Amino acid sequence: MKDAAQWLEELRGLNIAEPVRIMNVCGGHERSISLAGLRKAIPENIELIPGPGCPVCVCPEEDVYEAIQIALHEDVVLVAFGDMLRVPVNVPKSEPRSLEQAKAAGADIRPIASPTEAVKIAKEEAPRKVVFFAAGFETTTAPVAAMLDEGAPENLLVLLSGRLTWPAVAMLLDSESPGFDALVAPGHVATVMGPEEWEFVVAKHQLPAAVAGFRPDTLLAAMYSVLEQFKTGRRHLDNCYPEVVRAGGNARAREQLNTVMAVYDANWRGVGIIPNSGFRLRDAYAAHDARQVFKSYADTSRKRVGEMPPGCDCARVVLGKIYPNHCRLYGVACTPRKPIGPCMVSDEGACRIWWSSGYRENLWEGGKKERSGA
Amino acid sequence: MCLAVPMKITAIDGFICRCEARGIEREVSLFMMQDDDLGIGDNILVHVGYAIQKVSEQEAAESWELFDEMLAAEI
Ligand code: SF4
Repeated sequence: MKDAAQWLEELRGLNIAEPVRIMNVCGGHERSISLAGLRKAIPENIELIPGPGCPVCVCPEEDVYEAIQIALHEDVVLVAFGDMLRVPVNVPKSEPRSLEQAKAAGADIRPIASPTEAVKIAKEEAPRKVVFFAAGFETTTAPVAAMLDEGAPENLLVLLSGRLTWPAVAMLLDSESPGFDALVAPGHVATVMGPEEWEFVVAKHQLPAAVAGFRPDTLLAAMYSVLEQFKTGRRHLDNCYPEVVRAGGNARAREQLNTVMAVYDANWRGVGIIPNSGFRLRDAYAAHDARQVFKSYADTSRKRVGEMPPGCDCARVVLGKIYPNHCRLYGVACTPRKPIGPCMVSDEGACRIWWSSGYRENLWEGGKKERSGA
Repeated sequence: MCLAVPMKITAIDGFICRCEARGIEREVSLFMMQDDDLGIGDNILVHVGYAIQKVSEQEAAESWELFDEMLAAEI
């Protein structure tokens, strides 16, 4: 097994002269890349682009609004992964703008780290209803399906905002300007769903692709693989994380997902509807479906409904169209301490990751600053 | 939320196991791993309280090294 330094040497040895843009679609990958400083280590003509890798960032604004309203107006405990609590919605300043503010306003809202905690709270609070607001990609949604498949308490309801990762990449590749030349596929999504989901990148679009883990060595191995594919013209989906990613993924987990949930055309915040990109509960689980049990609080007359907060370019960051520090608010009005958009709130958001990795300069094109050191 | 970490199984009771990693103990669900023959001492990759895959001792050790570095970098 080669270590990171050896992979880096091999990668440099490919001597690729033309610009190549490699996209990753996982907050975990972006974190490792940024913290290990891989962008600075690899040749300058190789660009590493963070793509749709943050489920919190793309969770529909309407869903967060719904969660806030349910928590405020129904007699429930609302539980959610901690990241969701600070995500802002577009309402007048006089109303709670996030679950955190709704909690301050008196709603019973609790952060959890696992679906098993939701079950525990539901047992303690019975017969009071507990609503689990569950946003996440496949790796997080599969455990929610497992929880329901195993048999959750009657009073536990799920407000599901689960999303699939590959359809966002498919949408980009089907568009006129995908914005990247090669893909590093997410290792833990592939652990559950199987690497085969990513075959289309190679088969349909003839782009190099490799599944990577989260250490710099496996990320560099995947980067080497896609660059080598780029150079030789021989494309294939490489598995650079075979220690964990196996053919077919976790078959039992996929079966549980399929038993409990169906796939539908779903909305992504600031992006719009992406075909086959969302999970919803099947009818057999209607009694656990918060969307069926409660009346909808959707209010289409709300100002900026569904959009990012004013001035926030998170949707374009998510799609890899701009780097985080090309947003005009990055580091100026928007920092992790005072986040404006979800990409600065979530641990998986590219803006947050870049800020904590030390990128402090705002390179907004309309700014007065020269793009020095870009 | 998406970070999955390897942990070592220290006790199993039905679909629930106790796991340990770097001195931290957790209860983890094995419900997604019921087709695998898991025992005490095995390492599993844990994501939001559920085991999603079995991992080797070496893989677990190397991943933990990285997490140590990442945590150190954040402080
Ligand atoms: S820096 Fe803040 S405002 Fe700009 S895109 Fe990122 S989250 Fe949105």
